[in-house]
Amino acid sequence: MGLAAQKRVRTIISYCILGFWSFILLFPMYWVVITSFKNAIDMSIKATYMPFIDFQPGLHAWRYLFVDRLTWFLDPFMNSVLVAFISSTVALVIGSSAGYALARFDYGGRNNSIVLGFMSQRMFPGALFILAFLVMFRELGLLDTRLALIIVYSSGAIPFIVWVMRDFFEGLPVEIEESAMIDGANRLGVLFRIAMPLAAPGLVAVFVLSLIGAWNEYLVALTLTFREAITIPLFMTMQVSQTGYTEWWNMSAISLVSVIPVVAAGMALEKYITGGLTFGALKG
Amino acid sequence: MATEPQIYPSKRFRFEIRDNLWKWIFLVPAVAIILILLAVPVLWTLYAAFTDLHLYRIGDFDTKFVGLANFEKLLNNRSFWRTARNTVVFMLGVVPTQLIIGLTVALALNNITRGQKLFRTWFLMPLMVSPVVVSFIVGRMLFQEDIGPINDILRSFGFEGVPWLTSPTWAMVALMAIDVWQWSSFMILMLLAALQGVPPDLHEAARVDGANQLQAFWRITVPLIMPITMTALLIRIIDAFKVVEIIMVLTGGGPGQATESVTLAIYRTGVKGGDLAFGSSQAYFLLIVLMIFGGAYLVLTRRAMGKD
Repeated sequence: MGLAAQKRVRTIISYCILGFWSFILLFPMYWVVITSFKNAIDMSIKATYMPFIDFQPGLHAWRYLFVDRLTWFLDPFMNSVLVAFISSTVALVIGSSAGYALARFDYGGRNNSIVLGFMSQRMFPGALFILAFLVMFRELGLLDTRLALIIVYSSGAIPFIVWVMRDFFEGLPVEIEESAMIDGANRLGVLFRIAMPLAAPGLVAVFVLSLIGAWNEYLVALTLTFREAITIPLFMTMQVSQTGYTEWWNMSAISLVSVIPVVAAGMALEKYITGGLTFGALKG
Repeated sequence: MATEPQIYPSKRFRFEIRDNLWKWIFLVPAVAIILILLAVPVLWTLYAAFTDLHLYRIGDFDTKFVGLANFEKLLNNRSFWRTARNTVVFMLGVVPTQLIIGLTVALALNNITRGQKLFRTWFLMPLMVSPVVVSFIVGRMLFQEDIGPINDILRSFGFEGVPWLTSPTWAMVALMAIDVWQWSSFMILMLLAALQGVPPDLHEAARVDGANQLQAFWRITVPLIMPITMTALLIRIIDAFKVVEIIMVLTGGGPGQATESVTLAIYRTGVKGGDLAFGSSQAYFLLIVLMIFGGAYLVLTRRAMGKD
């Protein structure tokens, strides 16, 4: 077999592997989508695979969610939106300022140790925190509040942001900042007017990653909230435990509403997100 | 880097003072937040592990120090060892599978040019989906025993339906499948980044020198992607040790205790049961295991790769 033929075979095998794995990833998502258009009858006798062919799709789950029970769903949805956006914004401002400071100032030669100190948080199992958080927020009277989740999620996102952004700022040329300061700008102006805009790709990546993290978090939400401040993941599991049986079509519609925004955001910003995700290991 | 000199020229001394202020204003909030929300819980949990603290008795001021009693209880607790075993089994099941899938798919991805970005973007998808949705909707619907599609397809090929959620072994397999579905992408993207760092002419040169495809892969590619692979593995191993959410949602630790992980045990003891002291000792046990393991892993891999 010639080299060209060998290469062609390799390419074909590659596409087969990629197609297969894409299918594995696609199938569950496809299943959720079609289930959200199913009726009870389509799920009570046998598995049904194709809309219009082996079952007649209907919009009743979507009507249930957006018309009949909109207010019932809106609270947890808004909780998730508020908690995710506020905590990520707070973490972004605080974390990237610290990242900038660690890139530009000298803290007695300990900059690397400070960054490592931040990152050590990753090693700690979440289980170590939930017990202390439960007691802490109970004493503060903050159980079942969005504030509690915002505090926990921002502090959870800060180390990662410091780590990535410090590296990002280090890669930016200092000359622009220098000349701005000679022209009379102070550090705050330099950070917000010059460094941050230049670091926009990095900021977008870490912001979206913290957003997704907060949006999807479950263990802390389960520990700290139970009625007023519940987020979507908690809301979904509570639906089942309350009714005891599962209305799969409704649950599918809810999960699609919760999944689509973050997946769309993540995939639209693929380049930055992959960069942010793989950042740690590439540095190691 | 750390030893980088201050960037402003010394004639701007006037600014140096104000700059010195900003230097702290920028850093202190982050440090303060992390100290309060990291150090305080870590120390408090350590304290709790040596007491008889209980959630419903907090404020009673009669908390006693019990020394190592909680840890003693832990070591003699068969139920805890069961969860420890489950966690290790889970880790050993998912991480190698993810490595194999990750390497296979990353190699395929590295081999093509047309459509690479499309596949890369698609492979990012599972990482964005909440574990609750993955486990609850996807897992419970697909693994549903009577009319779930997986059993349905198996039956249509003449196999028996598998008791996914009622058999201890299969429930563990279902959980592993969910984790593999979600996290293989992480391995794929990491290994792809590693593979793309391998200079193609190095590979070509080896081929020209008479090495076959496999030899070139083992001798050139593998050593070059090893550092990133090792880091990716460590991240996945640590995450697998902390597994909890998908278990809570798919099986609740059952049937019996067959799929309960350490973290789930901590949640059940400490948060649900209110036994903060015993829960804290379990959490510390997990932390110590992770630290010993992570430390040993780093030392061994560094040594194996000749970095030290």
